[in-house]
Amino acid sequence: MKRRTFILSAAVGPFAPAILASVATAQSPEAGSGGAAAPGQEVNMMLLPKFLGIAVFDQANQGAQEAHAELENPGKLDFVGPTAENSVAGQIEFVTNAPAGGYNVVMLSNNSGDQIAPAAIAADEAGTKVVTWDSPIPGAEGESLFVAQVDFDETGTVMAEMARSILGEDGGKFAILSATPDAANQNAWIASMEEALATDEYANLELLEVVYGDDQSEKSYEQALALVDKHPDMELIMAPTTVGIVAAAKALQDEGLCDSIKVSGLGLPDEMSSYLENGCSPEFALWSFVDLGYLTYHASYALATGAIEGVEGDTFEAGRLGTYTIEADPTRPDTGALRIVMGPFSVYNADNPGV
Amino acid sequence: MTDRLLRHIRPEQFRELILLVVTIGALLFFWTQIPNYFDPRSINRLTVGLAIPLVVAIGQMMVVLTRNIDLSVSSTVGLTAYVVGTFLTRNEVSPWVAAVMAMLLGCALGAINGLLVAYGGVPAIITTLGTLAIYRVVLVEISGAKTVTTGDLPGWIGSLPSKTLVTVRDYDLRLMVAIALIVTIAGYLVLRFLPFGRRLYAIGSNPDAARMAGLPARRDVFCAFVICGGLAGLAGFMYLVRFGNITVTAAQGLELQVVAAVVVGGASILGGQGTIFGVLLGVMLIEILQQSLLRWSGLSEFVKDAILGLLILIAITVDAVVLGRLREAWVNTRRRDRAAARLVMEGGADGAD
Repeated sequence: MKRRTFILSAAVGPFAPAILASVATAQSPEAGSGGAAAPGQEVNMMLLPKFLGIAVFDQANQGAQEAHAELENPGKLDFVGPTAENSVAGQIEFVTNAPAGGYNVVMLSNNSGDQIAPAAIAADEAGTKVVTWDSPIPGAEGESLFVAQVDFDETGTVMAEMARSILGEDGGKFAILSATPDAANQNAWIASMEEALATDEYANLELLEVVYGDDQSEKSYEQALALVDKHPDMELIMAPTTVGIVAAAKALQDEGLCDSIKVSGLGLPDEMSSYLENGCSPEFALWSFVDLGYLTYHASYALATGAIEGVEGDTFEAGRLGTYTIEADPTRPDTGALRIVMGPFSVYNADNPGV
Repeated sequence: MTDRLLRHIRPEQFRELILLVVTIGALLFFWTQIPNYFDPRSINRLTVGLAIPLVVAIGQMMVVLTRNIDLSVSSTVGLTAYVVGTFLTRNEVSPWVAAVMAMLLGCALGAINGLLVAYGGVPAIITTLGTLAIYRVVLVEISGAKTVTTGDLPGWIGSLPSKTLVTVRDYDLRLMVAIALIVTIAGYLVLRFLPFGRRLYAIGSNPDAARMAGLPARRDVFCAFVICGGLAGLAGFMYLVRFGNITVTAAQGLELQVVAAVVVGGASILGGQGTIFGVLLGVMLIEILQQSLLRWSGLSEFVKDAILGLLILIAITVDAVVLGRLREAWVNTRRRDRAAARLVMEGGADGAD
């Protein structure tokens, strides 16, 4: 059965954080090898985000550090990464050098598409596991496991749902402001949203265009204004990126357009609070990056210590988040990709500002 | 006919004329492609978009005049925007104080470049390529992955970007644009009338000769870098005001846009040549291309980047070829004039030997 765990906060109210944690534990364990990894074993870990310097990746590091302390791992946990302009080449270099650096696991939020596959395969052969989180290796080559923040197919439904709740039952026209054109997670979400839009349920929502702000404030800002100029009948900008959503909201506010055009997508509550208050962005969603880092660490630790083999059906304990099961990744069929899904979404709006 | 024309107009002025024609041509082309292109709203977007690159380009041009280059400007913009932004989230100061802070910080960063290049003798391209990376890494380190967000900034920052000084039939002159124009005019006055400005041309034309002639070449080069840094700092403040949300990638890639604008505007990378008017045109052309390509429907993202690069390349190549021809012609007419004059002076009778 396909899980539908995203919570619309109207039903959740003030208990959102508690439920966020408890829904994750509700996953039923299935048959398969695995269990709890014994703490105190030495595993050298590298946490490698797309690039350094964005709040969400720092939060993932917090979660990983929490798990690192909890499991009393005497090995090292290094939070390293390239700078943004060097993201693709830098990531490949880090993965290439990981075995020589004595790392047992690289936890990677991939920003390099399949270009990183040769480096990941080489690392895997040299005994360094590559566990992806946030953004996978599209072809899954060299990747042991992908820790998905949410079910990628569900992201599209969540975005379509928010779009309809903002545009009303009559529907309307909107555009997507994404990050980079080759970000695997962004493209998967956009594809799944397009799929959702093709169903009768969201038939009256029309996607005008997808544009890219490269996760840079200024480019996202300019792109948002360009969208406004290009499409006079656009009523919503959907930005599934934390940088893009806040830049778009600022652009519309500066130009006094918030009455006619709204912004939604994936955003951090503390960055979005002022736009939530003034109505520029009445609703947006996100998951906990702290939990994502925490879960990724637990999965990587279990894999590296041999507590799980890393095959379909394996289950393991992930501390405060409960039990998780490895499954085939339906969003990347025919690649043999494996994933675990953290879930669920939190939707933020006037009833649940999240700060 | 062309001979007579060439005698009176220097090749550099031809170049600015050509650039003006190309710019108008680009505007007309996009006007046929993009609906409502000359709307007040679009024009306002364009002028506001110009402001930040223009301020940085004026500083960059001063450095380029001295046969140097400052590639670190984008990191300076990002770093000052972030530092001043962080300061403003914790302290209440007036906009003026914040702007001066940003400029001083920019000057300090520029001074590091200037010291290394002018007094350390390190080639500018190496120095500023290094500081481009270093200033960015400093930003990454001090930020601790925290983003400066509009919500944390004082209220006046939110209202500054849309602050308008004059409005004529919905065409705004925004405060940001006015600041950039003031900087441009100041830059023109400095380069045209101040001894310092004239010396920058002399140093760039022939650094050795300038030194032999007793010009304080080192000090002047140092000052050019400090001014460039200071203007990048001011641009950092404007960046903070305009975009409000400052991540560690702030202003990344701006150095390419600015260097391209300066070169397209006719400043020679070999120093000693260039005018403020040319730089203004160069910044305008590149900004028009960028903003218009954003609004030109039906093109993929990758193609847009390639087109922008191609257009810049064409502009520079055409410019170089045409200008090379013009200069040759200009020199030839001068030489012929001089030969004719000599002939006249020598009385014509001895012309046979």
